[in-house]
Amino acid sequence: MSTAAHAEQDHAHGHAHHDEGFIKKYLWSTDHKMIAMQYLFTGMAMALIGGFTVYAFRMQLAFPGMSVPGYGRVTATDYNALVTTHGSVMIFWVAMPVLIAALGNYLIPLMIGCDDMVFPRLNRLSYQLFLISSIVLIASFYVPGGAFGGAWTSYPPLSAKAEYSLTGLGSSMWLLAVALEFAAFLLGGINFVTTVMNSRAPGMKMFDVPIVVWMIIIASILFMASVGPLIAGAVMLLFDQQIGTGFFDPAKGGDPVLWQHLFWFFGHPEVYVVLLPAMGIVAEIITVFSRKKLFAYKTVLYTAIGTGVLSFFVWAHHQFIAGIDPRMANVFSVTTLLISIPVAEMVFVYIGTLYGGSIRLTTPMLWALSFIAEFLLGGVTGIFLGASGSDIYFHDTYFVIAHFHYTFFPIAFIGSFAAITYWFPKMFGKMMNETWGKVHFWGTIISFNFIFIPLFFLGARGDHRRIYDYRHFPDLMKAGMQDMRILATLALLVLLAFQVVFLVNFFYSLFKGAKAPANPWEANTLEWQAPSPPPHGNFPQGLPNVYRGPYEYSHPDRQADWWPQTEPEPTKS
Amino acid sequence: MSDNAHAPAAPGAEPSNAHGHAAHDDKFYIRIWGILLVLLVVSVIGPELGIRVVTLITAFGIAIVKAYLVLKNFMHIGVEKKYVAYLLITMVALMVLMVGGVGPDVLRHDGHRWSNVAAKKTVEEGLKAGGGHDAHGGEHKAGEKPAEPAPAH
Repeated sequence: MSTAAHAEQDHAHGHAHHDEGFIKKYLWSTDHKMIAMQYLFTGMAMALIGGFTVYAFRMQLAFPGMSVPGYGRVTATDYNALVTTHGSVMIFWVAMPVLIAALGNYLIPLMIGCDDMVFPRLNRLSYQLFLISSIVLIASFYVPGGAFGGAWTSYPPLSAKAEYSLTGLGSSMWLLAVALEFAAFLLGGINFVTTVMNSRAPGMKMFDVPIVVWMIIIASILFMASVGPLIAGAVMLLFDQQIGTGFFDPAKGGDPVLWQHLFWFFGHPEVYVVLLPAMGIVAEIITVFSRKKLFAYKTVLYTAIGTGVLSFFVWAHHQFIAGIDPRMANVFSVTTLLISIPVAEMVFVYIGTLYGGSIRLTTPMLWALSFIAEFLLGGVTGIFLGASGSDIYFHDTYFVIAHFHYTFFPIAFIGSFAAITYWFPKMFGKMMNETWGKVHFWGTIISFNFIFIPLFFLGARGDHRRIYDYRHFPDLMKAGMQDMRILATLALLVLLAFQVVFLVNFFYSLFKGAKAPANPWEANTLEWQAPSPPPHGNFPQGLPNVYRGPYEYSHPDRQADWWPQTEPEPTKS
Repeated sequence: MSDNAHAPAAPGAEPSNAHGHAAHDDKFYIRIWGILLVLLVVSVIGPELGIRVVTLITAFGIAIVKAYLVLKNFMHIGVEKKYVAYLLITMVALMVLMVGGVGPDVLRHDGHRWSNVAAKKTVEEGLKAGGGHDAHGGEHKAGEKPAEPAPAH
């Protein structure tokens, strides 16, 4: 490890043994768990913004022209800003901070048995940059012209000129926020990879590392490898906006398709950047609650790496009708269909793990199972869009939106709920209420399907997205189409209402929940050998030694159906 | 924190060779600098000869060698763990991939404004070669269903 890393560690070492004030403890901490909490709570707050924006614009679509309770009348410019903010926030400020930053920070040191990240101050800087990026994004709502309205993909020429997007300053602030956010995650990613490479507990070999840690590492590497072109592209777009260059402006000899390439070269690996951690979370949960060894540890690992590699070869499937060279469309169709193989393999492995297990249907397990089912639907509908022939029809319809949400909702929300309900006892030392957890689960899952199944049908009927008021398009107001929009919107209201149940359960349990034992789920991995919640330094009894892999459940030679990684082999007499 | 991070690497962790080689003496760096200087002279003189192949080799070939020397010796990749080098090679491969994928759309863009003439021409040729209907919508006989456009089968 480098000298800098040692210096960081020495610095952090000093904090372990004295009381800290509120600011030092909660706002300026270098403790990986506290930084994870900062990311988690910021991500949850941003999810409220993402939820509110979708509420406002879906109400406009279902009941055009009405004054939306709590928002007022949604103008066309508002609509653009709301849709853009919803997409950007949910992906960049909710899915990524919660799944990668919060869980990565929380779980990596605990699961590999060390006391903190190797670069604690870099870690703190990462969150601070992320916080600034969130503030810049929110502030863009209050500048002249309002928040950016050029969609979360920010395609030029719409995004490149204030006269087109009507949100001159908002566009630049959006770009700045995104760039800051990426810088934050670059710092986090470096930290994750270095920590796992250098600080594993004695005895923990590469194949003893829990799958979720592997997934976060692979995702971090994917992110770091793909984000460069987009940061460069963002600077070019900023120049186009602010100093009149023409990188993406055809009138000046630029090419708008170039932005699409730069964006999607990052944007498609990004899907796997958030998918893989969610897949890892599901692997941890289904092994614990089916009391079975993970069906094929190395297969999951290698398919995850394979998925990561392939994810760099599929980006142009977003651009089949953007005027790209049609010869490339053929190539990208094939690679896109290929990537479904490793992902399907992971799903098969999970089903194989469940098969014959002693399944405990706890709340986290319900979330994990629903992830597999719902994500499968998202994956299968992706085949229609990956094949360029059918995509020509489906492109820019609600079919795409439905497909996208059948992949991203399971990733960002089902995955996060699974993780939060599973690790809550460890994070806060309290148990969440199971009954209310299940009420929240069923309310969310049922309403989620009622939102997006109608959108598949709407899309198949040619319902174009990016329309503010369908009354101007009689072809899209034919029998039943508006009814389906209303159904989807009402289901959204139900889904949002059920999130109140989650928030109440979360905060009630946080303060008044039953005290959690160190290992309430009888799990093997190292974090459950630390106290709940773990103190600064994680393992007060001394850093653990590791004797076996993380998934030794229901071992035939043992009476107990779990076998912690830290428990030495019994001595034979 | 991190007592274990200072401890010897865990079994299974890659052995670190980072510390053993860290200190090269000044002579070593001056020698590398000398080599770079010589290469610079060659890369300046080469293109002056005006022979296309020599220009390419001396301009781009030597630039690659120089980049390699700088990375290996001045940026210490030579003494880092192997996976760092592999990561860097992966990044270069990804760069090639991206340029390769984007190139057909933006590098040889023979058209004006939004029209990619080169791609359109290729499609027309492909349709003719494949026996599809011609791209300009030639008359179809009554009742005859026009063939689907070509992409993606």
